[in-house]
Amino acid sequence: MPDLVIRNLHANIADSDTEILKGIDLELSKGEIHAIMGPNGSGKSTLSHVLMGHPGYDVTAGEVLFEGQNLLDLGADERSRAGLFLSFQYPFAVPGVTVANFIRMAVNAHRKGGPDGTDDPIRIPAYRKQLMEAMELLEIDKSMASRSLNDGFSGGEKKRFEILQMAMLKPKIAILDETDSGLDIDALRIVSEGINRLIGPDMGALIITHYQRILDYVTPDHVHILMDGRIVRSGGAELAHELEASGYANISQGVSSDGV
Amino acid sequence: MTAWLEERRRTAAEQNEALAIPSGADEHWRFTSLRGIDFAAYASSEQAAAGSPEGAILADGDHAGRVVMRDGGVVLEQIDPSVTAQGVVFGSIKRLAAERGDLVEPVLGTIVGYDEKFAAENGALWTDGALLHVPAGVKVELPFHVAYEIATEGAAQHWRLIISLGEGSEATLVEEHLPGRPGYANGVAELVVADRSHLTYVVVQDRHDQSLHFAAHRAEIGHDATLEWAACSTGSKTGKTRMETRLIGAGSTGRLSGVFVVDQKRHLDLDTTQEHDAPNAISDLAFKGVLLDQARSVWRGVIRVAEGAHGTDAYQENRNLLLSPNARADSIPGLEIDTNDVRCTHGATAGPVDPMLKFYLRSRGIPPLEAERMIVEGFLEDALERIPNERIRTALTTAVMRRIPL
Ligand SMILES: Nc1ncnc2c1ncn2[C@@H]1O[C@H](COP(=O)(O)OP(=O)(O)O)[C@@H](O)[C@H]1O
Ligand SMILES: [Mg+2]
Repeated sequence: MPDLVIRNLHANIADSDTEILKGIDLELSKGEIHAIMGPNGSGKSTLSHVLMGHPGYDVTAGEVLFEGQNLLDLGADERSRAGLFLSFQYPFAVPGVTVANFIRMAVNAHRKGGPDGTDDPIRIPAYRKQLMEAMELLEIDKSMASRSLNDGFSGGEKKRFEILQMAMLKPKIAILDETDSGLDIDALRIVSEGINRLIGPDMGALIITHYQRILDYVTPDHVHILMDGRIVRSGGAELAHELEASGYANISQGVSSDGV
Repeated sequence: MTAWLEERRRTAAEQNEALAIPSGADEHWRFTSLRGIDFAAYASSEQAAAGSPEGAILADGDHAGRVVMRDGGVVLEQIDPSVTAQGVVFGSIKRLAAERGDLVEPVLGTIVGYDEKFAAENGALWTDGALLHVPAGVKVELPFHVAYEIATEGAAQHWRLIISLGEGSEATLVEEHLPGRPGYANGVAELVVADRSHLTYVVVQDRHDQSLHFAAHRAEIGHDATLEWAACSTGSKTGKTRMETRLIGAGSTGRLSGVFVVDQKRHLDLDTTQEHDAPNAISDLAFKGVLLDQARSVWRGVIRVAEGAHGTDAYQENRNLLLSPNARADSIPGLEIDTNDVRCTHGATAGPVDPMLKFYLRSRGIPPLEAERMIVEGFLEDALERIPNERIRTALTTAVMRRIPL
């Protein structure tokens, strides 16, 4: 079975009748890169939030299996410790908590997750070394480690720190929600190289974007097009190029003719 | 007793007689009720309770001097001889009022007057406390430490503090109000921060959960002088603490950074002023509060800018985190501005932990309670990081966080 299986996923805005996800089916395994493309408002961030356990949505139908386990039964922290990661489109500022402390707490929470509840905090020197290496990979100035996470960071800086967290937590499946937006061309190259280095046989990725820009750097195995809460087409990397050339309007026309 | 002191006590006593215990009709007491409190039930005495105090967070390590007051009297006075050699005077204010009237008389009752009930009562009844005098140009690195403790249940403690910094001098004084036993504390602190001097003043109020705590702290800051004030309130059942800064010299700076945690059915009332009476002065006040259970806090802060105090830069904010739906925080900022060309800003908020922020932390694997604790600590850290001295900052962080049962 694929590592992540999404079946007929429906979700509403919490405590309302407004349905945003209208039946999503998707399968993804470690070692694979999938891209989800779709216009603004199509439900991409909602999908990523629902998968991570955001409290603002209710799942009304369908199921999500992560390594065979029912993901929807788990709290957001448990999903993370199980190996799921979300790089947020709009990361939150955490005032008064430094980057170094925040990531160390997260790393330690992951090390605590054992079935026997054992506590195995990482030793500070080893942690510092790992953090500095990851910061170097993403070309982040080391002095940033002692700043409050995302507090007053530029849009592009926030995205780099999302990927930094991904590098430190080493998830099995990472969802990258518009990680390319807010990055200038150099930053996009650096972040993409970072992502490429991290994705491998032990990690799969779901790259969410509404431009194909990032896909020039990180080549997807599969591309899915999300419109109005549904995946309307799936294909290979060439689908992203087709979309670039013809735009979403023609894709949606394609829906009826293809009968997808 | 010396004549001048007797005279001042008499003036204060007359005021104390004349003034009623404040009621809700008084604007400053609208949110803090004293109904049902029997102040007369607390026993005043000049007696010091023997023994050593417990629960101080900044008493360890090296100090330039220490004073401990238990119940009505001072039980410990210490001063580093090398500091004495520089002309510094530090010790029991009762003793020094007799021995060094030249230092006490010019200050006592001149900065905090007797026009308010609790200050008047203190002026009449104060039994002991501490005095620090630093001569012009003298810089003392190590902190002075003053501890107040009610050692006998039901005791009243009327403490008094004077800090008087000469021109261009520097000092740090830490004042701790220890948990001790339930009782009634009412104190007055008068701070003279002379031209170009620098005072760091740290007040830790961790009185017993059943104690009444009333205090009036007031500073006058001279030309190009700086007061760096840190206040941490975690204790007491109810009461009122006045923290007032008056900027009397051009180019002076008064910074007040405060944190408080209130739990159970306790009530904390902070009343602050930033009084700009001179041009180009800076005042900057930031309080962060965490409220649990059915606790309540009231912060009333006024920025007053006198005519002619042009170039004033004044800021005040009070942000509160409500960890229980039954907790409540009231913030009442106020501006009274009688001059143009000033910059005055204020802000106040109260709300629960942001569920989206909590989700963000949880999405990194951090369990819910730990996430909440991190958010609370980060929230307080924002105010604590304004305190330049790392040792003090760390101690205050520990003091507030141990009150949060997450
Ligand atoms: N919490 C919410 N409250 C109201 N509307 C929401 C909420 N979350 C999502 N939506 C709506 O759902 C649609 C999809 O949003 P989103 O998933 O953010 O789209 P995308 O990421 O594809 O741009 C949009 O119309 C958006 O306004
Ligand atoms: Mg989005």
